[in-house]
Amino acid sequence: MAKYILKRILYILLVFIILSFLVFSIYNMIPNDKAAAAAREEIKNNNKLNYEERYLYWQRRYGLDGNLIQRYLRWLGLYPFYDGSYQGMLQGYLGTSITQGRPVSEVIAEPMQNTIFINIFATILALGITIPLGIFCAVKRGSKRDLAVQVGTIVGYSTPVFIIAILFIWLFSVVLGIFPVSGMGTPGADYTGFRWFIDRMYYLALPLIVMTFCSLGGMTRYVRASMIEALSLDCIRTARAKGVKEQVVIYSHAWRNALIPIVTLVIGWFLSIFSGSIMIENIFGLNGVGKVYYDALNNNDNEVVLALQMFYIFIALAGNLVIDLAYGFIDPRIRISK
Amino acid sequence: MANKKDNQENKVVNPTTEVTSEKQTKTTTRKTTSTSATKKSGTTSSTKTSTSSASKKSSAVSSSTKKATSTSTKKSSSTSAKAAKSKTSERVEANEETKLVAEQTVETTNAPESIVDVSNVEAAEVEVPAADMESVVEKASLEVPTTPMGLSEQPLPMAEKAKKEPVDPMKDDGFWAKCKHGLSVAGNACVNAGKTVWRWTKRTFMGASKELTDDEKFRVENIESPAKQMVKTFMRRRVAIVALVVLILMFALVFIGPLFVPMDVNYTDALQQNIAPNYSMRKVPNALKNDIKSISGFSNFTVGVSNSGGLYIWGDTKLRVQGINLADFPEEITGDNVAFAAAGKDHIVAITTDGKVVCWGNSTNGQLGDKTGTGILSMPEELKNGTIDVNNVRQVVCGYQASAIVMKDGTIYVWGNTNTVTNMSYFVGKQDVAKVAFTNSTLVAVLEDGTFTAGNSNSFTSVVSSKGTVTGKLNTYLQGKKVVDVAATNYSIALVLDDGELVLSGAFSDDIDLIPELPEGETFVKVVGGTRHFVVLSSANKAYGWGHNFYGQSGFSGVENVSDIYAGSLQTYLVGDKDNLTNSYGLKGYLMGTDSMGRDIFTRIIHGGKMTMTVGAVAVIVSSIIAIIVGCVSGYFGGWVDMLLMRITEICSAIPFLPFAMMLSLVIRNYNVSETMRIVIIMIMLGLLSWPSLARMIRGQVLAEREKEFVIAAKAMGIKESRIAFKHILPNVISVILVSMTLDFAGCMLTESSLSYLGFGVQQPQPTWGNMLNGANNSIVIQNYWWQWLFPALFLAIATISINIIGDTLRDVMDPKSTQDK
Repeated sequence: MAKYILKRILYILLVFIILSFLVFSIYNMIPNDKAAAAAREEIKNNNKLNYEERYLYWQRRYGLDGNLIQRYLRWLGLYPFYDGSYQGMLQGYLGTSITQGRPVSEVIAEPMQNTIFINIFATILALGITIPLGIFCAVKRGSKRDLAVQVGTIVGYSTPVFIIAILFIWLFSVVLGIFPVSGMGTPGADYTGFRWFIDRMYYLALPLIVMTFCSLGGMTRYVRASMIEALSLDCIRTARAKGVKEQVVIYSHAWRNALIPIVTLVIGWFLSIFSGSIMIENIFGLNGVGKVYYDALNNNDNEVVLALQMFYIFIALAGNLVIDLAYGFIDPRIRISK
Repeated sequence: MANKKDNQENKVVNPTTEVTSEKQTKTTTRKTTSTSATKKSGTTSSTKTSTSSASKKSSAVSSSTKKATSTSTKKSSSTSAKAAKSKTSERVEANEETKLVAEQTVETTNAPESIVDVSNVEAAEVEVPAADMESVVEKASLEVPTTPMGLSEQPLPMAEKAKKEPVDPMKDDGFWAKCKHGLSVAGNACVNAGKTVWRWTKRTFMGASKELTDDEKFRVENIESPAKQMVKTFMRRRVAIVALVVLILMFALVFIGPLFVPMDVNYTDALQQNIAPNYSMRKVPNALKNDIKSISGFSNFTVGVSNSGGLYIWGDTKLRVQGINLADFPEEITGDNVAFAAAGKDHIVAITTDGKVVCWGNSTNGQLGDKTGTGILSMPEELKNGTIDVNNVRQVVCGYQASAIVMKDGTIYVWGNTNTVTNMSYFVGKQDVAKVAFTNSTLVAVLEDGTFTAGNSNSFTSVVSSKGTVTGKLNTYLQGKKVVDVAATNYSIALVLDDGELVLSGAFSDDIDLIPELPEGETFVKVVGGTRHFVVLSSANKAYGWGHNFYGQSGFSGVENVSDIYAGSLQTYLVGDKDNLTNSYGLKGYLMGTDSMGRDIFTRIIHGGKMTMTVGAVAVIVSSIIAIIVGCVSGYFGGWVDMLLMRITEICSAIPFLPFAMMLSLVIRNYNVSETMRIVIIMIMLGLLSWPSLARMIRGQVLAEREKEFVIAAKAMGIKESRIAFKHILPNVISVILVSMTLDFAGCMLTESSLSYLGFGVQQPQPTWGNMLNGANNSIVIQNYWWQWLFPALFLAIATISINIIGDTLRDVMDPKSTQDK
């Protein structure tokens, strides 16, 4: 198992390097010269300065001299700046946001907490609903209720998030007036402690409902499919023939076998909602990573974009790693074959 | 071995035998393909029946061949048939088995059901494409892999000969012949490629080859090809059929619709913003139709006053943000006491018979006259508190949040928003005004002495006259001339002079400077203006319209017996001599309302759907091509190729889709690319990011197919690896690919919409279903303008739902396991 884990980690590391280089190259295609801008600004204030000299100075200061590989390594923190210092991702330095003038790590710290909270909460809600629903549909396959759920799930997974969000805002906020339209807390209110939590949950309720609803379609179908697969296994027939209670057959024998693909699904889905929450956060005006990313893209705040892009890639790769490991853990066959 | 001999014999004997040998080889291939295909169909449908019937058929074919050709040919053909069937593909044993098969063949010939007319078979053989011929010759020559080299090389010249044969007659001297040769080779290549694609499709949907499905010819028992079965099962699913019909209708609407509903991408109209779906914008109420005193309209609603003092309003009368319905008249209006009324952008001014000036509508910018402040000109006190002499009123006009009343003694009262109508204060206190009109941003007037004035506005210097080309400025041109009537569109004005001349000025668009030519003897008498068109009344009581004609509002010329003309914003009303409405032209309304820029949503949905579907389709095609190549190569060849390709696939699938696409879009935005180029880049980008899952699926399928018998048989025949991968295995995987493409199509449409919705896909003003929802991202729109998000969302959702239902059903139908279960 240790060898398997090590192999996977090394492999993921390689992919991370390739992808980060790819992203860095794409990022470098944006025609944006920070050093030139800084030098021009300086010259405007003080006419005596030499542009070339100041340009070179700022280039070295920002680490923009050298070729693409050098700059990439510098950004990673493996290649020194002109003054010999290392300031890269490995040192925990992600750049500076030009719109806010603060380090990127500081800018994304709070939104990151919010996003992770929202996503974990939505995952728990979604799993709590989809798994029982999927099992139910698989067991009662072909019944009218199953058919209804099937049609519902097709509608659910064919409709994009933003349409469901708009519909729900219209229904719950505009027509019924239950939830607020957007925001993360009552404006101007200065709650603390439990009161603050209640207020936040009140504002997050609608986004969470939308996220859960959107995940229902795809996940229910998946759980149902893998459960059907598991129910047609020979071991189930044997169990039934032995006279095992139906309850035990479903929840102990079949469900365990169905779990393998579902684990992949759950982790994969958890990752996809990180990028999917870009949409939700923008529609509901939540202060999350997705909103920061969107704003940074619109304001040409390139270093924030780069850092968050790496965050998304990191999340995706970490997820892949977790899926692989979980697979190896759940399904002993994989450990042996690899 | 027998094969080799046959070929040698053929070479030696005479031309006729050569032809037969060709035919023989053809038959061979057909049999090999048919056998493999039958196996496929056997797995999917009733295995036993189809296999047995296939063997009967193949023997029937070979028997008929025997009749037509020499015994040696028969031998070889049956040998190859056997070879194709044999699992172990030990060709050395074929020699002994040949006799056995030959005997079988003879037996089956005697069976009554397999007696066939030779001509029939020949007719069927024409079906076999030329591409096969080549491969067949190759196959025939390489049929026995275990034979020594010297022997196996011998048939090759014959194969070459067969290749060259169609070219031979053209071997004339000179350049022309070479050209012809080149052309014919290229043409053949094209034809072959086309035939191959057709063959795959046919094999997927209609079974293996013609003989297999054609029951009448061989009179064997009824068998159902997998495709027929699929279609049948599909037809049994009611939901799927509904989805298919809906999708086809939607396709038709989106791809044929634009031909009938043209769209001007850059069209905007501030006065047509946020109009709800309705068809009453030209619908003059019946009570008013024969009793018209005046009609007035400036934006999306129109008011009319009847001679009996009634006030009528039609069009989209709701101001949704303010929660005001203009059709709810104030209590001062009792139903028979209105003398004058005029409609502005979002307010109405009416004068009752006892001289009270009543305003209602949106009050936020002082258009009702009850406010004071910067940029607001409030209503004169005598109107606010007192009454005016109704018999002395000459004209009531409303503009963009501004109003004016002109008295017969030349007094003018103006009030409203001076930020929109900038030169209004100039007219305050004037005593010599004869007539006024509002453009979008100015108030223009004709004074009692016949001079024209636009106050301190200088936007009217250009001149166009009905009497021919004019140079110079408006003021100089009008010097010494007397103006009797004035009318205005949004950006231009029209003046009628006392000698019947018409003069236009201002900014011209929509061909508004093309004044219609009147017949000899007619002169201009009166002019009225909508937002983008003019209508004139001539001295012969004829009406002419020109200018913007998208809604047909100016599409008439020389309508007779008109005594008065009125214009709404995009409508024209012609009134006869009994104050009856004779004709109306122009915009009736919007089926799905308008958006915040005043554009028709229905038109944009049609054109946007075209864009969304095109982007989705192209993206799917791009991704499928990549996926097919990667999947097939990786699955078939395995080893390090598979390893490498799968690692690349994994890397690509690890890219988080939405953020990455957004970032790429940002990079594109930084380079100044045209909109079309941008759209193309987005299509390709979507395709390049979405192939990994399909590639994996194809790889899995190919891996499964690779182990099947027909592949082993093909390998044993010595067919090239690439040919096996793409010509033998791929057609069997195509059903999976089709299903996956269907589902991916919906997926790509959704992705494009999401990107466009966020503003990183296709950009405004080019519509797509996604970016039409872009404006719906706030509660004001969601609450008040439901049609702006509901219709695009509905279309997008219905399209993707139908595609997904069809894809799901196709998958169920094509997967024999699932049909068994249910």
